[in-house]
Amino acid sequence: MMSLLTVDNLATHFHTRAGIVRAVDGVSYSLEKGQTLGIVGESGSGKSVSCYSLLGLIPMPPGRIESGSAYFDGVDLLNASKDELRKIRGQRISMIFQDPMTALNPYMTIGAQLMEPLLLHRGLSKEAAAKRSIDMLEAVGIQDAEQRMNAHPHQFSGGMRQRVVIAMALITEPEILIADEPTTALDVTIQAQILELIKSLQEKNGMAVILITHDLGVIAGICDSVAVMYAGRLVEQATASSLFHSPRHPYTHALMKSLPSMNTDGKELYSIPGMPPDLTKPIEGCSFSARCEHAIEACRDDIHLHTIMLNHATACIRAQKGEL
Amino acid sequence: MPNTSESTYEVEQGQSLWKDAFRRLKKNKLALFGACFLIFLTGISLITPLIAPYEYDAPDYRLGASGPSAEHWFGTDLIGRDLFTRILYGGRISLMVGFVATAVSLLVGVLYGATAGFLGGRTDSVMMRIVDIMYALPFTIFVIILMVFLGRNIILLFLAIGAVEWLTMARIVRSQILSLKEKEFVEAAISMGLSRFQILTRHLIPNTLGPVIVYTTLTIPNVMLLEAFLSFLGLGVQPPMSSWGLLIHDGADSMLESPWLLIYPSIALSLTLFSLNFLGDGLRDALDPRVAKD
Amino acid sequence: MKKIVLKRLLESIPVLWAIVTITFFLIRLAPGGPFDREKELDPQIQERIEAHYNLNAPLMEQYTDYMGGLLSGDFGPSFKNASSSVNELIAQSFPVSLELGFYALCVALLIGLTAGIIAALKPNSWQDYTPMTLAMIGICVPNFVLGPILLFIFGINLGWFPVSGWEEAVDKVLPSITLGAMYAAYIARLSRGGMLEVLSNDFIRTARAKGLSETRLILKHALRGGVTPVIAFLGPATAGLLSGSFVVETVFQIPGLGKLFVESAFNRDYTMILGTVILYATLILILNLISDLLLTWIDPRLRNA
Repeated sequence: MMSLLTVDNLATHFHTRAGIVRAVDGVSYSLEKGQTLGIVGESGSGKSVSCYSLLGLIPMPPGRIESGSAYFDGVDLLNASKDELRKIRGQRISMIFQDPMTALNPYMTIGAQLMEPLLLHRGLSKEAAAKRSIDMLEAVGIQDAEQRMNAHPHQFSGGMRQRVVIAMALITEPEILIADEPTTALDVTIQAQILELIKSLQEKNGMAVILITHDLGVIAGICDSVAVMYAGRLVEQATASSLFHSPRHPYTHALMKSLPSMNTDGKELYSIPGMPPDLTKPIEGCSFSARCEHAIEACRDDIHLHTIMLNHATACIRAQKGEL
Repeated sequence: MPNTSESTYEVEQGQSLWKDAFRRLKKNKLALFGACFLIFLTGISLITPLIAPYEYDAPDYRLGASGPSAEHWFGTDLIGRDLFTRILYGGRISLMVGFVATAVSLLVGVLYGATAGFLGGRTDSVMMRIVDIMYALPFTIFVIILMVFLGRNIILLFLAIGAVEWLTMARIVRSQILSLKEKEFVEAAISMGLSRFQILTRHLIPNTLGPVIVYTTLTIPNVMLLEAFLSFLGLGVQPPMSSWGLLIHDGADSMLESPWLLIYPSIALSLTLFSLNFLGDGLRDALDPRVAKD
Repeated sequence: MKKIVLKRLLESIPVLWAIVTITFFLIRLAPGGPFDREKELDPQIQERIEAHYNLNAPLMEQYTDYMGGLLSGDFGPSFKNASSSVNELIAQSFPVSLELGFYALCVALLIGLTAGIIAALKPNSWQDYTPMTLAMIGICVPNFVLGPILLFIFGINLGWFPVSGWEEAVDKVLPSITLGAMYAAYIARLSRGGMLEVLSNDFIRTARAKGLSETRLILKHALRGGVTPVIAFLGPATAGLLSGSFVVETVFQIPGLGKLFVESAFNRDYTMILGTVILYATLILILNLISDLLLTWIDPRLRNA
């Protein structure tokens, strides 16, 4: 059975004055219907850029998709025409951005922004679109939804704005939802509510979700599979349970070690020594080797992601050999 | 990303802000052209009495108005005065009015804006409301009235023109001071052990200086334009002194028969305004890296 | 909204009053004024003035008389024109200037907005550099230079347009362009800057992610924010158009209020000057109010401030 989305060897580089920044350097994964894929990594790992590339939202100078393909329903998103992309965006693949304070248009009412994708993509009448928007606002937990339709973003708190952004993305019942840190601005109860909503849509329509986050806790909560990124590359890919049960890459290990919940003995929090690499310089071999306490000579050779167990792949050659 | 890391960066980079800006400015060819032309112009204005081929007021009735020739590069005016010389001398006056009036507006604007920003609160609101209201008024009209009724004194001209332009300077200085008061990097710098003096010299002053320099450079052409405008209407510089505005007025009068009388002074004025504006724009882009140019 | 209008109107009244008062006293106290007995006036005018103004009365009484006259809409007799009152003169010439100003504003907005928006959509391309350089030229070539030059080329040499007058439509082209050119330049630069700033905002990326077409993106999402600096500029632009009209009307011999104002300044027609100043000040205050209202209408964030 063909996957919903198949990304193969995606590479996105930024041509800046300081050099060519290899933000995403050969990332491949696939997404099935109804699946939740979590992409985890620190800032600068390329996790957001890889997803923005899928929808063509990278500013094209200075960014450039150097290679790769991303097949969605027979269309290669990376090489699709502007028209094809536009029909997919917002309708079949929706995106939720990180910062709720700036994601909404301050000049338009909430209602207008919510109804827009419905009027455009689904050709609904104004009344139908308005009704659906009100329903959606209620579903994300906004009271007095009908009055709120005429409000403007600046009248909402950050948490409410984030909920509107989520509503806007889900309103067209897309096949894939890409969520970039969707719950950071929300408190725990709302967070749970939103994740519930997303889950219910998944069950109802088979919506797939790509969840970008740095928070392993969120991953553990709702993701089926996880991809760990470091310096623009995938270093480990597994089902969530397999990953948490036995992480097979030093970086993943380190990430888990640095979780506050893992450091319960009152000692200093673990932080990974060293700095992320300079992405303008080509990296020889494993991108993590400079900071890795298990690094050996061979880590400087060409590194690839290899499956070592069922549904578990790692890019660490020592893990591949079973040494770690 | 927490602000402290940003401010650490800023503290370290504080001194190379100017070097950075200078490098950016050098790349801007139009701004460079503007700067060179201005230096050239100021230079010849200073030494005009030494290099002018003729007296600016020496008529030659035999010639009358004649076109450009070997003896008179830009031609002569209706009573045979050499236009090139008159443009040189007119330039001196125009530039002088430009610089002095700008200095007046700079002084008033900086004092007013700094006071408002520093005092803050209600005083600030009131002072700024006054500026808002004055912004809306037709100052030019007032200047005209002033010039008509209080005489055609060149000093008055400086003051009047300066009085028109100080408003924006006041606004800029005030907003800079307000934002500097709040800037977290000041706190961070203090917490890192920099003395007040170091903070003042390495951060506060460079940060205010930038916009002030940019705006001053952009005020000079506005001032020169205002002077030329007044002189054109007969309310600015008076004969026998000459300024470019006056020359253009005379040129416009005899436009049909002696077009050169209009063309050359116009080119001189426009070229100067160009240079100032390009330089000012270039400075603004160079000092504010957030402005998206490339 | 209504509160803002009311507040501004209330603010404007003292401002207007201050302007009138200052101008009034400036005139009365200035040397060489008509109330300076050394100056000789046309006996007819002298008579009318003395009939109208009680020149022997103390200054304050003259002032209150004048203000009283103002409140009933009477600007008094002209000091130079024996047969007309200021009201009449203004009524004749103001509509002309209004028309000129309106055309100039249309020219400025049309050319400026189009050029600026196109430049913002294709930054650092020829569609950006060319209009912006032309805009720079527009700012640096003052209208008293542009006017005569346009007249010379198109009016005299090519003969396409008449050199003066304000009767036919063809008369109105050159003056409108001359007056509007500088403002077109400013508006082009302002709208380019405004659009670039708006387009760099996150919400534009959100709109793109929703699958909107570029056209819709620009017209519905970006334009409102991008045009804000232009609207804010309308106030100063009006002031500029007014003073610009002095020159343009003089150069093209248009019988408007601007030309009249300059003449009356030279001729020391005091009542005329006062009347014009009041009219202009009122006009500018009103237009500033409109500009501010437009701003709050466009940007909802300003509404409750």
